Amino acid sequence: MSDDPAHLIVARDLTIGYGNRIVLDRVNFTVRRGEVFTILGASGSGKSTLLKHLIGLYRPVSGEVLISGENLVEADGADRLRILRKFGVLYQGAALFGSMNTVENVRLPLDEFTELSEVAKDLIALSKLRLVGLESAATRMPADLSGGMQKRAGIARAIVLDPCILFLDEPSAGLDPITSADLDALIKELAHGLGMTFVVVTHELASIFTIADRAIVLDPHTRSIVAEGPPAYLREHATQPWVRQFLNRQTS
Amino acid sequence: MPPSDIVSPDVQWDLSVGPGGAATLVLRGHLDTNTTPGAWVALDKELRGRGISRLEIEAGKLASCDSAGLALLYELGTGSMTPGATARVTGLGPELQHLLRSFSTEDYQALQAHDPIHPTFIEEVGAKTHAWLGDLRQQVEFIGEVTADLVVSFFYPRRMRWREVFRVFENAGVNALPIVALLTFLVGMVIAFEAAQPLEQLGAQIFVANLLGLTMTKELGPVMASIMLAGRSGSAFAAELGTMKVNEELNALQTMGLSPVQFLIVQRVLAGILLTPVLTVFAIYSGIFGGIPVLLGLGFPLKMVLEQIEAGLSYSDLAEGMFKSVVFGGIVASVSCLRGLQTGEGPRAVGDSTTRSVVSSILLIILTDAIFAALTYAMK
Repeated sequence: MSDDPAHLIVARDLTIGYGNRIVLDRVNFTVRRGEVFTILGASGSGKSTLLKHLIGLYRPVSGEVLISGENLVEADGADRLRILRKFGVLYQGAALFGSMNTVENVRLPLDEFTELSEVAKDLIALSKLRLVGLESAATRMPADLSGGMQKRAGIARAIVLDPCILFLDEPSAGLDPITSADLDALIKELAHGLGMTFVVVTHELASIFTIADRAIVLDPHTRSIVAEGPPAYLREHATQPWVRQFLNRQTS
Repeated sequence: MPPSDIVSPDVQWDLSVGPGGAATLVLRGHLDTNTTPGAWVALDKELRGRGISRLEIEAGKLASCDSAGLALLYELGTGSMTPGATARVTGLGPELQHLLRSFSTEDYQALQAHDPIHPTFIEEVGAKTHAWLGDLRQQVEFIGEVTADLVVSFFYPRRMRWREVFRVFENAGVNALPIVALLTFLVGMVIAFEAAQPLEQLGAQIFVANLLGLTMTKELGPVMASIMLAGRSGSAFAAELGTMKVNEELNALQTMGLSPVQFLIVQRVLAGILLTPVLTVFAIYSGIFGGIPVLLGLGFPLKMVLEQIEAGLSYSDLAEGMFKSVVFGGIVASVSCLRGLQTGEGPRAVGDSTTRSVVSSILLIILTDAIFAALTYAMK
């Protein structure tokens, strides 16, 4: 399965948890190149934890995560850096460095990992800021930006080294509907215009139906994936009633 | 046609300059983060001074091009490497063209023109003085509020959250005993050693015992105990309250109609006031215990040493030490809490307020101690 180049991320028999607590038990799924893949589930179902395992921050209890056929957790040194360069991450709180202004935040990966000239680095960082609509906020400090602007700056920083995958942890959480819709439009533009692959953790229904090509739904009770497929299809045809309820926003 | 210039095996180009300065630059290979820096420098050198009036950059034959490559194409396209020439980039696919449009010279110039405001010396002095006066005012208000709440708690002891007082007592007091004991023991020992040498020349080594008793009781006992309280517990108060402020817990208290001073700070200040004399007694004892082995080593019998220490001390010395410790305890606890409440925003805020709590506490302890010394000297 994982040898297929179209399968960008493969989770195989992945068991994750904290200490003795198992959050997900032997799950399998595949993220295909160029798609917007969403991880859905109720609060506490382990969505963000799963994401942190996909990006190699945590080591799984058992099983493995392969990014382009390579295991990030097992890799070290130059190999690890090479795999890390394939993806960018937007954290829930944007995680901008408070001591640097916006353009310095975006420039940081260029400063650390490339030999480019100052002009080139500034031009690239500013082009990414323009891409996310933040060119006029380049010299502002993160603390002076609104939540939505911080997230967009976080995306600009995540894509500055041209990764092929972007992981987004709750991109629309805490944003107003208009800002949230703008962010969805940006994700679609990056995905369809530039062919980037997205893995998005969210429970914003509006976002799910706008951006997602495919979704998996996590169930905290069975600690497994209970549904997988395009969200619009799952809304009508999921075998589990609560998945249909979840996607139709009905009370239980 | 000039020969093809190869900088890196991954990226090549052909430059042909026709009559009248019309030039075509054909790029091939991979123009990415690794190859662009070298290509940038080489192309700049090659293009400048060639008398090019019109430059067409043919990018359609590139096998790959990332943001770094696009930055180079953009720079070529603006004509900044061929001054006076018109330049354009052709042959890019729609995706890359879209990305190329996000580059902007105006943004770059705006960034270069951005100059952070540097205040003048006078503005800076003014701002600092204003901030200092504001801080002083806050301190006075805070001391007033804490005192008022302490008085209220004295008359209505049921309103005090005693459980919290005892928790602070345990954390800042009982748990601090080993380190206070160790440090003052060592300080007592050092004093005895250092004093023994000059006093030996006068044949008055037994007076090391008097010195030890007096310094530990009147000065070092209370000062060491309260400095330890500032470093160990005052910093914890500031960090705890600072984090609560960052998490909006203090706002939550206020909107519930609870005063943060009444709810969180009075307990800590009361604990500080009650605790420091206890720590001080402990510090005095271990300081003296630290000096005794030195005196025994000098050949004085234990009974003689103890009698000498007792003879050199009066109850007024102990009272002075105790009174100081109460004042120092109140200062450390309230200043640390104030610094915690003053925590600003941002990732460094809690660290800053912790540092400020320790610095302010120690400064005020020494300052108050100096005032005490001057007053007691004048009263005698």
